[in-house]
Amino acid sequence: MDRRPRVDPGAIRGAANGVDEPVRVRPLDELDITAVADIAERSGGPRDAGFWEDRVTSFLRRDPEGALIAEVGGRAAGFMLGEVRRGEFGIAEPTGWIEFLGVDPELRGRAVGRLLAEALEAHFRARGAVAVRTLVDETMPGVAAFFASLGYAPAPMRPFVKSL
Amino acid sequence: MNMTEALLPKSYHAAVERWRDFYLPDHGFLEASWEKHFPREPRPKLCAWRECGMCGVVECGERKGEAKYERVAEMPEEQARHLFAMIRAQASTEFGSIQQHQLTLSRARDEEEQVWVLRMMADELRHGYQMLHLLVEDDWSAATGRGAADLVEEILSIRTGDHVLGAFNVDFDSFVDNIVFCALIDRVGKYQLAMQRVSAYAPMAESMPQMLREEAFHLAAGVVPMRRWVERAARGSVEIGLGMLQKVLAKWVPRGLEMFGDERGGGSNVRWGFKPTRNAEAQEAYYQELGRVVRDLNLRYLRARLPGLALAEAEALLARLEAERGSERGIRFEELLRLPHREFFRRRGVPAFRMVGLDGELFTDREEYVRHLARVLPESYLAGRDFHDYLQQLDRVVRGELEPGKAAAQSPSLRRVGGVCPCSRAVRWVVDEAAPSAGTTAV
Ligand SMILES: CC(C)(COP(=O)(O)OP(=O)(O)OC[C@H]1O[C@@H](n2cnc3c(N)ncnc32)[C@H](O)[C@@H]1OP(=O)(O)O)[C@@H](O)C(=O)NCCC(=O)NCCS
Ligand SMILES: [Fe+2]
Ligand SMILES: [Fe+2]
Repeated sequence: MDRRPRVDPGAIRGAANGVDEPVRVRPLDELDITAVADIAERSGGPRDAGFWEDRVTSFLRRDPEGALIAEVGGRAAGFMLGEVRRGEFGIAEPTGWIEFLGVDPELRGRAVGRLLAEALEAHFRARGAVAVRTLVDETMPGVAAFFASLGYAPAPMRPFVKSL
Repeated sequence: MNMTEALLPKSYHAAVERWRDFYLPDHGFLEASWEKHFPREPRPKLCAWRECGMCGVVECGERKGEAKYERVAEMPEEQARHLFAMIRAQASTEFGSIQQHQLTLSRARDEEEQVWVLRMMADELRHGYQMLHLLVEDDWSAATGRGAADLVEEILSIRTGDHVLGAFNVDFDSFVDNIVFCALIDRVGKYQLAMQRVSAYAPMAESMPQMLREEAFHLAAGVVPMRRWVERAARGSVEIGLGMLQKVLAKWVPRGLEMFGDERGGGSNVRWGFKPTRNAEAQEAYYQELGRVVRDLNLRYLRARLPGLALAEAEALLARLEAERGSERGIRFEELLRLPHREFFRRRGVPAFRMVGLDGELFTDREEYVRHLARVLPESYLAGRDFHDYLQQLDRVVRGELEPGKAAAQSPSLRRVGGVCPCSRAVRWVVDEAAPSAGTTAV
């Protein structure tokens, strides 16, 4: 048996560009919180372990197969969290929303992000989504380029914000 | 995901609802707190879900590649009896865990943690329901000699002390038990469900995916509060320290390991295609994973003790502390959690009644071993029936009156249960449509 039984049999394997060891994508679990928080922290995301405990637990409750982690050589290399929702911002079609993502800065540019996105899109499709959407921070041009490479186009919708 | 949803026939459904009202009286509180804690998430539903589109052929064993069984009648009687025992054991754990959690649920200090456990209990009720559905949907009379009503009644009548698996007969002493149980014992559940996902009996395999999705949260409902506790302990809180957690780990780890069955067994399951893995192999994978739980908590502790420590630095520090068993930067090795040895305090399986200490040290003197146990187990547990029974059996084994292998089988059942009213014994859960009203038939 695998060291850890997996919820999802559809975990994918692919040899990433320039990485000797294959990338393995699987649903993440509560023991991955530390790795997720670490990658996020090193990507400039929230530095608060408690924040990631809350977020990951919430995903594990609602749709554990929509929370993915990529491993290279048994070590966490990246993560992507998303969920299918309907009616969000008046969008009627079932939509897969990518909410959080991060790839270990030392392992970027080796298709880890692409494999995560492909696996999550497959999951969204299986759950009936007809489109996938996300919000990109314009101060992070790399993220926009990443989604563009994966075939995402800017949508005619802009977030507005006001401090309270 | 694509699932079918089914309900039990009315009288059985009502029986489970009656059972819920009795053993899970807080389900109303869960309903009332739902929006606050789980906004927009679907509410618990008492029903059986089966996954569509799963593998239709047997995945391991002698019949590998042949079509899975859709009905019990298609399989040899010996296999049907074996499968029935598995379903009964599974159902017993689902209902049993609710009875245990209920004992100390009200002692939670934090509303979120309490509601998480309550939601988990509602899931367990659905899991039990799912197992009953397997027994009611098919005809098990040839394998069991009994009708569905009897089978359901018998399962709903099991109480703490009579459960099939030892862990479900151990009382909870505080809310720490609720949480550690989720992290450790539900983890065994995850392994069992993941194995039964390949079951040669298609209805069993199809029952697993949704149960596994729910199980993912149960494990988080255990590990996340433990992470928060060790973090608070690192910042100086004396409420739930690592010393206490260590003792509660010592109470539950041996029981979790024993839930995999005897280390020499599991061959029939594999041969008949009910599980892909023999007991020893599954138990080993579980034990390794427990090692990751303990490591995760220790890292969280170190990083909270030394704010600013990066994960890689914390990993290196932990490795040094474990290798040298010394102290560094004001943190002593003894402060950290350690995983009890796999042979520690066992009463079933290969190491049953061997006098092995927490760190694997072997004792030869009974008195010395018992003093060791008293040092490393929770005080409240020492005062309970489970430990008392263990000591009595240990004495008989030490005196040569009882073979270790037989001792476990002869465990006296618990004679009391705390928390719930003993008159539950006299309730009949399944009420015939024609019968007057809920009742009075003694079981
Ligand atoms: C965006 C991110 C996920 C990309 O991950 P990655 O594993 O490096 O991406 P991949 O190697 O799979 O790249 C896939 C495609 O995107 C392109 N791409 C990725 N990063 C890019 C960048 N910075 N600039 C231009 N293109 C980029 C790649 O060239 C590749 O294109 P191709 O397949 O057509 O050749 C990663 O850079 C990241 O984690 N960024 C920070 C995210 C963050 O801030 N998270 C905070 C926590 S929520
Ligand atoms: Fe369960
Ligand atoms: Fe569970």
